[in-house]
Amino acid sequence: MAHADNLYIAASVADAVAVLADRAGTATPLAGATWVMRAPLRREPLAHSYVAISQIEALQRIDISEDEAVIGSCVTHARLAEALAGRGDLAALATAAAKSANPAVRQAATVGGNLCTADFAAADLVPALLCLDAAVELEGPGGLQRLPLQEFLSLRHALPVGSLLCRIVVPRSAARSAHARLPLRKAGDYPVAIASLSIEQDDKGIVTRAAVAVGSVEPVARRWPSLETALVGRPLNTAWIGVQAERLAEEFTGRDGIEAPGWYRVKVLPTLVRRAVEALSAQTA
Amino acid sequence: MPITLIVNGEERATQAAPMTPLLDVLREEFFLTGAKAVCREGFCGACTVHADGIARMSCLMPVGLAQGCAITTVEAIAADGVLSPLQQALEDHDVVQCGMCFPGMVMSLTKFLEQNAHPSRDEMKTALAGNICRCTGYERIIDAVLALTNAPQAAE
Repeated sequence: MAHADNLYIAASVADAVAVLADRAGTATPLAGATWVMRAPLRREPLAHSYVAISQIEALQRIDISEDEAVIGSCVTHARLAEALAGRGDLAALATAAAKSANPAVRQAATVGGNLCTADFAAADLVPALLCLDAAVELEGPGGLQRLPLQEFLSLRHALPVGSLLCRIVVPRSAARSAHARLPLRKAGDYPVAIASLSIEQDDKGIVTRAAVAVGSVEPVARRWPSLETALVGRPLNTAWIGVQAERLAEEFTGRDGIEAPGWYRVKVLPTLVRRAVEALSAQTA
Repeated sequence: MPITLIVNGEERATQAAPMTPLLDVLREEFFLTGAKAVCREGFCGACTVHADGIARMSCLMPVGLAQGCAITTVEAIAADGVLSPLQQALEDHDVVQCGMCFPGMVMSLTKFLEQNAHPSRDEMKTALAGNICRCTGYERIIDAVLALTNAPQAAE
């Protein structure tokens, strides 16, 4: 079903993949449209045509089992926050979805859009999903492909023609997770920096597994392996972890942006790590 | 092919290009100028409308994706010319300043109060994170709404 040449409303994943492949690189998937509609303000041209996928029912599903959470790429931030509320292992993702942007944008912006918008360094869901070891599933002319999220982030500029991000798969675990962000206003702005944590502890409180991801500081979010290594084998001590984060923060090269210079993003990162640990401790209390 | 949508209960059609912001169709084609074109990037909230019962920024919604949607603008909030209780409370408390942000404030708050009839002050501030008032009249807005939601009839 098409309204005009430059917007095709896909009825199914197969339909969307076929049209994307047929239009061979000139068409772009369109979900919530919150990034695309601002292209003129960024002085960017619109794509030649768009394939709207937001009305495909299969991409709006959220299936949560004991083993994994499978999230359709067109699930909005608002729906995701609501579906994940109260699940400790997925708290980082729930917080990221609940705090990003503002209420009306969260009703439109999708998980898939957050992951596919390569130029959006401040995407909240990306570090949250990285710390949860998420994978993505793509459909395309070559069939189904599953990639770890970090690998997808490095490939998303150059995916094969006709590729469509359909699902995000998040493994469940005994971990607890948290997400700390620093917008310049209390809410509504893009975060200057983001720290997402997922921590597993034994019955004595010793950290047995740690995953830390950092967003908005560099152009692409990534894990922080050296800090993860430092955390394992010790109790979860906020002050000590903050000191380690300060010691290791120089591993990041902050990006300069209109809302903050690069050095500032790196400078606030240890504080955000502390806040994330405090949020974890609050979950325990 | 025209795009058809239900605007304030009435079926309307537009020949606009499908990537045209819904905001522009509402204002320039349907002459519903309550939704304001201000930041055009989803930060200020002045263009907020309800799309299928959800508060959305109409500047970020391509009209092509509104095909078949029920759109409500601020013009339809005062049914039969009678202000809604929220609008009346805002007027009673003399809250309106320049008026640019106000249609969006009303649309966001109308939807929010449907979901949370007795919000706290902090919940209201969170709900208004996407509505910016350059006259900085926030506290008076919140005072007015709390007066409404704390009134005896609000508990009924």
